[in-house]
Amino acid sequence: MRYLLRVLAPLLGLALAAAGILLVIEVVAAWLRPTAEAGLTVPWPDWQATMDELTWADFPVAAVAIGVAVVGLLLALVGLLARRSDIVLDSPTPAMAVTTSPRVLARIVGRRVRETDEVASASVTASPRRIVVTARSWAGAGPELRSTVREQVDDLLTELPLHRRPRVSVSVQERKGPR
Amino acid sequence: MSEPAANTVELSKQTSTPAAPEPEPPAGVLRRRSRSAVARSAARDRGIAVLIGLLLLVTGTLVALLSFGVFGSMRAGRPVLDPVVVEALGTQSTVSRIVAIAVGILLTLLGLTWAARSLRPERRPDLVLAAGGATEIVVSSAAAADAVATEAGRIPGVGRVRARLVGPERAPALRLTLWITDDADVQDVLRRVDGQVLASARASLGLGALPAAVRIELDTAASASRVA
Repeated sequence: MRYLLRVLAPLLGLALAAAGILLVIEVVAAWLRPTAEAGLTVPWPDWQATMDELTWADFPVAAVAIGVAVVGLLLALVGLLARRSDIVLDSPTPAMAVTTSPRVLARIVGRRVRETDEVASASVTASPRRIVVTARSWAGAGPELRSTVREQVDDLLTELPLHRRPRVSVSVQERKGPR
Repeated sequence: MSEPAANTVELSKQTSTPAAPEPEPPAGVLRRRSRSAVARSAARDRGIAVLIGLLLLVTGTLVALLSFGVFGSMRAGRPVLDPVVVEALGTQSTVSRIVAIAVGILLTLLGLTWAARSLRPERRPDLVLAAGGATEIVVSSAAAADAVATEAGRIPGVGRVRARLVGPERAPALRLTLWITDDADVQDVLRRVDGQVLASARASLGLGALPAAVRIELDTAASASRVA
């Protein structure tokens, strides 16, 4: 979303500027040439004729209005969602701000979880608020594996100076087949 | 043949008054400066996008409701270009033209300013070491950042480093991205960045404070793509 906003922002700015320039050109041209039949760059007399015949209840008006509302909703969503999803770490001094990405946290957690012998594979998703660990155990692993994995993740989160401790949820699935 | 007196260069050191580093700003200021160095701010772009989006949303919704006859079927049956409005504009033609031109100029200026600000590259401040005298020593932004990056690369557990200076020239800050190895101790790395790298950078550049935004990444040398 941040990249989309970086691309959209200058384009929208230029579009606003272009609309402003066209407005000034047309108003000044219409002022200086009162007898002219057509606009200088924009065929606004044709538009005026069309809009004279249209009523608010006509279909194109409603369709355009809904289109405008949808575009506005999308634009507002892009603006609202273009925030950074940084994970903040505690720093030794106020002169330092330490951040990392959810991807990095997920990789660190995943590596720690896979160190356990009973874990065959694990997938981890992390956000600033929540870490979800799905571990697949070898056949025959006991039910205590889930709490072992949870303890490991808790230990890791204590080691990492995370500013805000995310909630951890662990699920263990047993893998079929021989080890 | 006369001596080229104009070419004489006087090199002298002022040993009596060594350049004292600036006093350190309060912790709150440092915290704010280091946080704002984390990434280029998109707050302005986001704000304007949300504002324009909401305006379009409200306008579109109101017109759609009007069109569906929510505000009465009489009103919905009026032409879009209402003759009453056209007549009112026609009787006040000079005023409405001036207003339209003013709106156009305003839109142009706002649009161009917005586009220019969001396209402008982020500032990389050069550091002025000895200002005020006849001579000025300027350390370029890239040189200072390279020096810091080299120093940070020596920390055990740090694989790759990218450093750059950001912020205004009077209050520069450092943006440091560290790619740490798998076995690195994050707390130890951070302590060393503060104690070794930033301290020596402040001392050698004569800065009272050099707020830093540190970004931790994992070195991809031994990466496993098993994490969803």
